[in-house]
Amino acid sequence: MIGQNWESAIAMSHIWSIGGGKGGSGKSFLTGNLGILLAKQGYQTLLIDVDLGAANLHTIIGIPHPEKSISDFVNKKVVTLEETVTPTPIPNLYFISGAMSNLDIANLAHEQKMKLLRNIAKLPYEYILLDLGAGTSFNTIDFFMISNSGIFVTTPEPTSIENIYRLIRSVYLRKIRQVLKTYDFRILAEEAERQNSSATISNPDVLLHIMKEVDPEKGGMLEKALSTLNFKLTLNQLRKHDNPNTGGLICKIIERHLALKMYFTGNISFDDRVHNSVCKKIPFLDLYPYTQTTLDLRECCKSLLSIHDVHPILQDAVD
Amino acid sequence: MKPYREQNYYELLEVSPNASPLEIRRAYKTIFDLYQDESIASYSFFSQEERNEILSLLEEAYLTVINPELREAYDRKLIELGLVEEGKQYCDKTKEPVPIYDFKKTQLYILGSTKRTEDLRSCASEKPVIQKILAQETLAGTDLKRIRTELEITLEEIAAKTNVRMAMLRAIEEEAHEFFLPMVYMKGILKSYARYLQVDENIIVNGFIKHIAEGK
Repeated sequence: MIGQNWESAIAMSHIWSIGGGKGGSGKSFLTGNLGILLAKQGYQTLLIDVDLGAANLHTIIGIPHPEKSISDFVNKKVVTLEETVTPTPIPNLYFISGAMSNLDIANLAHEQKMKLLRNIAKLPYEYILLDLGAGTSFNTIDFFMISNSGIFVTTPEPTSIENIYRLIRSVYLRKIRQVLKTYDFRILAEEAERQNSSATISNPDVLLHIMKEVDPEKGGMLEKALSTLNFKLTLNQLRKHDNPNTGGLICKIIERHLALKMYFTGNISFDDRVHNSVCKKIPFLDLYPYTQTTLDLRECCKSLLSIHDVHPILQDAVD
Repeated sequence: MKPYREQNYYELLEVSPNASPLEIRRAYKTIFDLYQDESIASYSFFSQEERNEILSLLEEAYLTVINPELREAYDRKLIELGLVEEGKQYCDKTKEPVPIYDFKKTQLYILGSTKRTEDLRSCASEKPVIQKILAQETLAGTDLKRIRTELEITLEEIAAKTNVRMAMLRAIEEEAHEFFLPMVYMKGILKSYARYLQVDENIIVNGFIKHIAEGK
């Protein structure tokens, strides 16, 4: 793919980064199964495992021993990122593994990360799904922010919800930092500190209000940048006795207190058999196609597809 | 979105300023569940002080808005501040029974305004032309038309107020027999016509019927 085709392919690519603060909340499960659903609908889909250092997306989609991995590109064994793409047994579905990497890949240097981000944004696929690692390290946040339409995954448990809020706040703060650049950010942080000593950590939204007071022009710019963020939330592992409205309420809290758009894509029912599918290394969708969980995954995919947001080429995260 | 400290009570409860007490109670229950200590959806989002502050604000908002007197005072304050438009606030409509039939209104509707009625009556008794016509033994369609034009009333006006069709009114004034209805209906129509002009209905009905009978 060179020239014209290549360009048009970029313009069409949607990048969904899938993150969730806590481990075990179902990020890889959701990424793998959403990818399969998209591929089955005929979209050229690429899954990238950027949970560097603890990759296991390959196992979810049934490729126990991927031959190539993202570290080949980082270590310059291959020239382009495209060379690390592995086809999968599922038509239209492609995969870049994060496994089989050397031991220090988890601590990606800034330069390497930026190069990786730039190259991911250039890959010619219709849908690119990024499976992120747990935690709120800069690497995770920067991968998450490669697009404006990230998907947060949480389970209806206090621990998971605690971490999701933590991640959302980190992303929010990182975005403010990106828009304002270092100098302005320091001024803003100092002003916020002066007005309200506990503001910066617990209420990043206070920063926006302070910025509007200090410098209305930059405040407006910041508000505009924040309003382009178009996040989604998926509630995974909903058990029978859990409140099905929890996801909607989380979105409401975020909209009310962080002034961020947060679209709820739906609940995904808990199923004991997910364990079986992982042990058998067969995608859940294929092993148990007629279950509530599969139905929920389909609904989730449908509602994600209904929100069209074209990924702006090489956006701020890649600067 | 404004920070919650700057929101008014209605914004805090997420209801419109004209919400009924029932809606307010429901909204408070929903929003209380969201912020209460045990709520899983807001777990860890707020520090304990923030949570207490929001909850007490919500309680204050609820207790004000659910109390009719306090609510009225609060609404007035919002109107003065220009935050709510006058007339957009809630008013309790359930206490006054709504009349099904308003007799006064119906009568006025038929006869036009009372002032107009009186004007017409005095006008009819003052004009010698009209009195002369009314004194006749029989009344032709043209006579009726004459009275009407003297009083400066249009046929359209009569049609609108009495619900008699224009074609029928015209038929009477032009004595177009082919359009006439049976006499019993014609009497009713003539009565309405006379009543609207504020002239003696018996004179009009009898005079006209006699005229028609002679003509046959």
